[in-house]
Amino acid sequence: MTRRGPVFAPDDNAAAPARARPTARHKGGVSETAPHDSALRHVDGGAKYIDDMSEPAGCLHLALVTSEWAHARITGIDTAKALALDGVATVIAAGDIPGENDMAPVMPGEPLLPPEVAEYVGHPVAAVAAADFETARQAAKLVEVHGEPLQPVLDLDDAIAREHYLLAPIVFQRGDPGPALSEAPRRLQGGTRVGCQDHFYLETQVALAVPQEDDEMVVYSGTQHPTEVQHIVAHLLAVPHAAVQVEVRRMGGAFGGKESQASLVAGLAAVAAAKTGRPVKLRLDRDSDMLVTGKRHAFKLDWDVGFDDDGRILAVDMQLAGQCGWSVDLSPGVLSRALSHADNAYYYPHVRLTGLFCKTNTQSNTAFRGFGGPQGMLAAEAMLDAIARSLGKDPLEVRRLNLYAAPDRLLTPYHQTVEHFRIPEMIDQLVASSDYARRRAEIDRFNAGNDVIKRGLALAPVKFGISFNKPEMNQAGALVNVYTDGSVALNHGGTEMGQGVFVKVAQVVAEVFGIDLTAVRATATTTAKVPNTSPTAASSGSDLNGMAAKQAAETIRERMRAVAAEQLEADARAVTFAGNQAVAGNKTIGFGELAQACHQARVSLSSTGYYRTPKIHFDRETNRGRPFYYYAHGVAVSEVAIDTLTGEWKPLRTDILHDVGSSLNPGVDRGQIEGGFIQGLGWLTMEECVWDAEGRLLTHAPSTYKIPTARDVPRDLRIELLQNAPNEEATAFRSKAVGEPPLMLANSVWLALRDAVHACGPGGRAAALDAPATPEKILRAVEAMRP
Amino acid sequence: MTELQFTLNGSPRRVADQPAHRMTLDWLRAQGLRATKEGCAEGDCGACTVLLDRGQTRADGTPDWRAVCACILPLAQLDGCRVVTTEGLSDGQGQPHPAQTAMAEQFATQCGYCSPGFVMSLAAIATRPERDDDSLMDALAGNLCRCTGYRPILDAARSLPVTQPRPNDPALDAGQQDRRTTRLDYTAPDGGRFVAPTTLDELAALRAALPDAWLWAGGTDLGLKVTKDGAHPPTILSLDRLDALHEVRSTDDGGLVVGAAAPYADMLDRLAALAPDLASYFRRLGGAQIRNIGTVGGNLGTASPIGDSLPALIALDAGVELIGPRGRRRVAAADFVTGYRQTVMAADDLIAAIRVPPPTPGSRFAGYKIAKRVDQDISGVSGCFRIAVADDGTVAELRAAFGGVAPRPLRATGTEAFLTGKPWTRETARAARSAVLEDISPISDARGTADYRKAVAANLVERLWHDTAGQGVTRLEAL
Ligand SMILES: Cc1cc2nc3c(=O)[nH]c(=O)nc-3n(C[C@H](O)[C@H](O)[C@H](O)COP(=O)(O)OP(=O)(O)OC[C@H]3O[C@@H](n4cnc5c(N)ncnc54)[C@H](O)[C@@H]3O)c2cc1C
Ligand code: FES
Ligand code: FES
Repeated sequence: MTRRGPVFAPDDNAAAPARARPTARHKGGVSETAPHDSALRHVDGGAKYIDDMSEPAGCLHLALVTSEWAHARITGIDTAKALALDGVATVIAAGDIPGENDMAPVMPGEPLLPPEVAEYVGHPVAAVAAADFETARQAAKLVEVHGEPLQPVLDLDDAIAREHYLLAPIVFQRGDPGPALSEAPRRLQGGTRVGCQDHFYLETQVALAVPQEDDEMVVYSGTQHPTEVQHIVAHLLAVPHAAVQVEVRRMGGAFGGKESQASLVAGLAAVAAAKTGRPVKLRLDRDSDMLVTGKRHAFKLDWDVGFDDDGRILAVDMQLAGQCGWSVDLSPGVLSRALSHADNAYYYPHVRLTGLFCKTNTQSNTAFRGFGGPQGMLAAEAMLDAIARSLGKDPLEVRRLNLYAAPDRLLTPYHQTVEHFRIPEMIDQLVASSDYARRRAEIDRFNAGNDVIKRGLALAPVKFGISFNKPEMNQAGALVNVYTDGSVALNHGGTEMGQGVFVKVAQVVAEVFGIDLTAVRATATTTAKVPNTSPTAASSGSDLNGMAAKQAAETIRERMRAVAAEQLEADARAVTFAGNQAVAGNKTIGFGELAQACHQARVSLSSTGYYRTPKIHFDRETNRGRPFYYYAHGVAVSEVAIDTLTGEWKPLRTDILHDVGSSLNPGVDRGQIEGGFIQGLGWLTMEECVWDAEGRLLTHAPSTYKIPTARDVPRDLRIELLQNAPNEEATAFRSKAVGEPPLMLANSVWLALRDAVHACGPGGRAAALDAPATPEKILRAVEAMRP
Repeated sequence: MTELQFTLNGSPRRVADQPAHRMTLDWLRAQGLRATKEGCAEGDCGACTVLLDRGQTRADGTPDWRAVCACILPLAQLDGCRVVTTEGLSDGQGQPHPAQTAMAEQFATQCGYCSPGFVMSLAAIATRPERDDDSLMDALAGNLCRCTGYRPILDAARSLPVTQPRPNDPALDAGQQDRRTTRLDYTAPDGGRFVAPTTLDELAALRAALPDAWLWAGGTDLGLKVTKDGAHPPTILSLDRLDALHEVRSTDDGGLVVGAAAPYADMLDRLAALAPDLASYFRRLGGAQIRNIGTVGGNLGTASPIGDSLPALIALDAGVELIGPRGRRRVAAADFVTGYRQTVMAADDLIAAIRVPPPTPGSRFAGYKIAKRVDQDISGVSGCFRIAVADDGTVAELRAAFGGVAPRPLRATGTEAFLTGKPWTRETARAARSAVLEDISPISDARGTADYRKAVAANLVERLWHDTAGQGVTRLEAL
């Protein structure tokens, strides 16, 4: 494809101006499809997760005692019966926390165990430690919690009606939407809703706390944010940060659910371990995990939009009401990202976006792949759909009309200028490769001739901002050690949850040294090696840690280069690293030999590396700035069919074109795209969290909460990575982040369902189909659409 | 006898120190065999999948390896069996099984937590030569992966050669086979018992002597009471070794008899021969692991209003054969469940078999299961019909049954009466709506609202019309 703007060459890793072409290339450097570093261990059972580690002698197991009320004042906790059970060691409650009873990631005020008020059904108020889990679980049932019920607020509508907010609303504004709306030739008010989504990582939350000498504690925690767990455990136990070491080798999936919410599990294990002086493990069973931990925020999305007769948007006033649950948790970031993605790929000349932090007496909603972005984007897409339908146009036409465009339609609602916008060309490419126009016509014909089954087709673009919305989080550290045999140990702040950050960063290091990937070993993430890290989140894992590791490796390589120059009797600038050797002219020295020579010459083979993302800034008072270093792009076209008698549906085909810059590892990236897309498909169609009138979550196990299975994958799924598209910004080897953006490609499925519903009536208005589009909602929308 | 004996990954094991209700998964993990994971402890995610050989052979003489969920499989049920877990899947000589290499090389793992379970389901697939996409998805319907989006796993499955797990191991020897034909009576150190009698008389005597015992067929319902509710049955009375309850056979008149304790998987082929739609309906009951061990007897035993068997059995006018202290008797499927989780059975009754009559001339069966997800989901509404249309285009015979729309699976007699004798047209199918609504009384729950259930139940009659007489594309399956 053709692209505007300069084409950047991939980073040159060598300082040498003229590189001798190496004879052999190392295996597994950047841009190679190297398998996940643990792939073989995953399939033979050798990969150990925290629950698979052998328990230290005397290990206790925890079970939670949770609130039965959605909102209640706790008046007493009677533990006598539980303590009387054989094998029970102790019960912990708020009073057992030696330090500060707070596990909040952002704003103080989220007790580990509530001292006074239980805020949702499932709120842990105590925990029982016993010799085995079965005993702990039985004992937990014997703990009597006394309380006085208080009035709860259980759903979003109620919270909005009562203005029951955790924080003051946030507003992004540019221009003056009021007058622009009233002057617009056409105006529409409408909205949609999207429900909560459970992370359903296959490995539930887990931690093992092991007391050490003095006041020290080692915590193995299934966390995306070891540093935060370290800090919180230290505060809970009233010990210095340095006394707590948090380690995680791998997680069985996380998706944001183990960012802030791992602290609860690790914190409880640590408090019980400190109290008893014994190792303590807490692994939530599936029901507890789903009943206790937060989910993706549900949103009520309402807009007031003015546009012209072609469908070009003139002004937008949008309210995004997020269901935060009982506490703030990470909601400020989530709302901020929802607002900063409520434009998606579209330019709004005048805009006001208002985000509401609705408090409900339910689980505290939290980070989940996309972090509010998907919900914001969904608002934009539903609004565009509504505009197009009101004009009787193909939504694709209206989408194209409203895309960001040079020269004067590039400013986002947060006042960042969109640069290097790839969506228009990507849409052109995918419209052609997916045969959109012919299929559109064919589907319309089909729908005209069939009234039981209706098909739908839709294209959805994705523009996703990369960087944490909070500038200070965009930093990372790494530690690289080269040993005297040339093997390399790599450590960084990134945590491995399946996304392949270990292999990608190892590829970066292998590339820097010009050695085979097999010589580089990524080791468990631990606060003892690389301190003060950011969470592995916001798709940033490879970007940030890749750059930090690159810098560390480069530092060592430059030291080695000097030694190599001596050994090879060449100018240092003439030395290159490739094919597991240092090369100068026709002389070579093996990488291991060179490492040994460095040691002999008393040259350090260890270095830390550090990186902070350049260019970004954001003013949280005005909500203006450049929060994103760059954007990742994707486009998807999906075709579906619905059964208008039952509301059942079926995905038929999806075509995806996704922008990962210069891929560090096309195999891993493709996996992120496919996996993200299917997770998004689940979010928008079958995954439904249902609470009863008392605030009890009814869908707390896979029997009632349905994530996609193999049959839910479109039979015809065509995925392409955008080719020859290095990142214009200087990221690790010009790659782009890929963790979150593909989730939103599934918007195309939801929009295709709306398209199919639209075909059930005379048109003129968009389908009244919210998300998740379960068969029930589809049937209701079909009935509402019928003439 | 107070010892369990089985073969685990090629090595003989003897166990005498475990509670009778100990699940295989918990025991494996306590042994340090931690490749097998717990993702849900309710049979719904497949992370705990292991392979089980109960000494049966397939037509081609190979062992009938079955993928099962270790999380709800009592350890005692392994007695006399071979079990293979991910750790022991290879040939024992260090070479990984093709399912393992295929998964690892094709990016079919990300976080890896689901992977051992998928590997085992793939290893089960590898034992069978037939490999169309539909059968692959059936075989994988009981395994959840949250990371990969499944495509690479399906590709890995497609690429498998036909092979056995641990091909160099000897099959179950005669001594082990014998174990499975003699009564098992395992008493745990805590006094709990797991008893598997081999004759109906023994069973009757045991039930009389041990009124608190749990009658255990596949345990796909009861197992959850142990793992999720923490219940501890004093005695488990397993139907596993009662050959008399495992028989699946066609009758001379073209009907079918299914032993109450025969797993679903054993009857699918025969159902397909009876009516293709019947097999596809039952194939959506649970995932492969559940169908490999769950039984119709257990499904009726739960008397669940959302159980999938009864609507089909009612529509087919099947009979339920019961054995009680006073002998055998037969009740119509439609009369079996009398109210919310209540049946015609007395406490000491046993379901022996299901008798499905031969198809009536000119009739056709259609079964619909409506759920949020196609595979391994519990029905929000199910509807099953047997319909015969006369030459003059009127409804000659209709039997209609619904699940999920009343306190019990229900024969929709009002609907039947309304339509019988009427011309079978789209208009009459639609007009049956009020009759359907008279028949049913749904409630709202996590699986759907009462309004939705009403709308769908009524629409299923129209769906039936489209499937028997409609024009053009009227089913998603056709696309
Ligand atoms: C993951 C999963 C998915 C499922 N999906 C479905 C589904 O799609 N549709 C559906 O309908 N069900 C489903 N179920 C429920 C369950 O699998 C079925 O009801 C199954 O048929 C139960 O059979 P079982 O042999 O395992 O029963 P068990 O658990 O062994 O027994 C169930 C009850 O029946 C009694 N019982 C068993 N056999 C007899 C007998 N011969 N005589 C008298 N009483 C007896 C038992 O005492 C017990 O009370 C699912 C379960 C799981 C775990
Ligand atoms: S643990 Fe999920 S099926 Fe067994
Ligand atoms: S690889 Fe993570 S759940 Fe399948």
